[in-house]
Amino acid sequence: MLCTRHDMVRRRLLVTKVIAVLSKLREFVMKNLKYVGMALAASLVCVFLWFNPLPSRASQPSVQLQTEPSLSQVVPDEAPVRMALQAVDATGQPLSNVRFQLQLLTPVKTPWFTSDFPIVEGTKLLELNAKAPSGKLEFEQVMPIRGNYTLKAQVTPAIAGAFEAFDRSLQLSVPENPVKYRNAAILIGILILAGIGGGWVIGSDRTVQNGEIAPQPIRLLLSAATVVAIAVLLFVNISAELGSARGHGEMQAATTPSVQRSQDLEVRLLGDRQATVGQLSSQTIEVIDPKTGNSEADVIVNVKAIALEDNKQMFAYQGRTDNQGHLTWKEQFFDGAPHQVVAEVAPPNSLALQVSHEVEVEGIEPPLYIRFISLSYYTGIFVLSLLGGIWWHRRSTRSVSLFGR
Amino acid sequence: MMVSSTSLWQRTKQVTLSVPVQVALLASLCALILWTLYFSTYPPVHDALHATRHGTAAVACH
Repeated sequence: MLCTRHDMVRRRLLVTKVIAVLSKLREFVMKNLKYVGMALAASLVCVFLWFNPLPSRASQPSVQLQTEPSLSQVVPDEAPVRMALQAVDATGQPLSNVRFQLQLLTPVKTPWFTSDFPIVEGTKLLELNAKAPSGKLEFEQVMPIRGNYTLKAQVTPAIAGAFEAFDRSLQLSVPENPVKYRNAAILIGILILAGIGGGWVIGSDRTVQNGEIAPQPIRLLLSAATVVAIAVLLFVNISAELGSARGHGEMQAATTPSVQRSQDLEVRLLGDRQATVGQLSSQTIEVIDPKTGNSEADVIVNVKAIALEDNKQMFAYQGRTDNQGHLTWKEQFFDGAPHQVVAEVAPPNSLALQVSHEVEVEGIEPPLYIRFISLSYYTGIFVLSLLGGIWWHRRSTRSVSLFGR
Repeated sequence: MMVSSTSLWQRTKQVTLSVPVQVALLASLCALILWTLYFSTYPPVHDALHATRHGTAAVACH
């Protein structure tokens, strides 16, 4: 009875407090009615815009991007991705006589979960100045790593005043290669099994019998660890020997000269012969008339870059020479291995002229701190499994002894 | 003197076989093997396991 009366008093107090707070709130609203009204209106507008976004770029020219395969199916450092950019006007109609200035930027640095090419992260992959008479630019590029790439396109008219120049920035999201997760899962599985097994042995009875240096389980564990170490070192050394034997036989590219001449055209391949991972390397094709020495404009040139280690095409592009008879592009050779740059010109009345040169690419070792971060993850998994194994063994031993009692 | 060296030997055995030292030794062996296989820049090792490194998540190569 007493308790019920006490509860009633508490409830009354609570109701009084709520009424007081509400009346204060009412006073505040009445005093600042103007501001509250404005805040409510702004909120309503925000909600409306959230559900009905304005067509922000509908009335502006833009760049449409198509990729083959679609970005969700791209596998980093595998087959090249075919990219087609189309400049369109405000009504969505293709623009003609366009000049593209293109920059492809790699994803930002991710030291806490590094990609396999950390030096490539946060750099420029490609720089291309291209003429596009139909407003369309196509090229093929291998995407080295997962993440969000930025494609910056500056579009200017080839004929002055044809349209207003504009620039657009597009985001390309490339997923990670699923094989990497599978292999990491296998490695983690091995570490967990080895850790739990080791912990189980360490957690067992460690009393030394007469004449023993160490208890039997510890001796077994040490022997197993030694066998593993021997197997790993044998594997590494034998693989290294086989690898170096193979290495001497490769990198023999079918080279063509860097200058070729026909009756009507002379094609020269100029540019860097030495490149470094993480930096752009400049390559230029020069086309001239051998009789007069004048530069040849608007000659169609097919260029490609091939990684010689596994004969893989990394970049391909069909472009036209400018008024100086030049076609210049800058690309990053992201794999620290020799590459070959090949250019082909097919004159209408004669055989195709092919020029090429080899580019030595200097690989940069990943920073130590990035490797230590990754090592700590995998070692941490092993240590946790080891501690788990010790705990598991002691718990099971305790259970057995309890049952025994 | 004999007693002292025997007790030192006993103490060394005890410390060596203690759980923290055993855990530290095994963890070091594991870390060393992982470093050699996945993170070492020694060219023969790097070349032999180049594809494996590129095919494993969170492993940096060049």
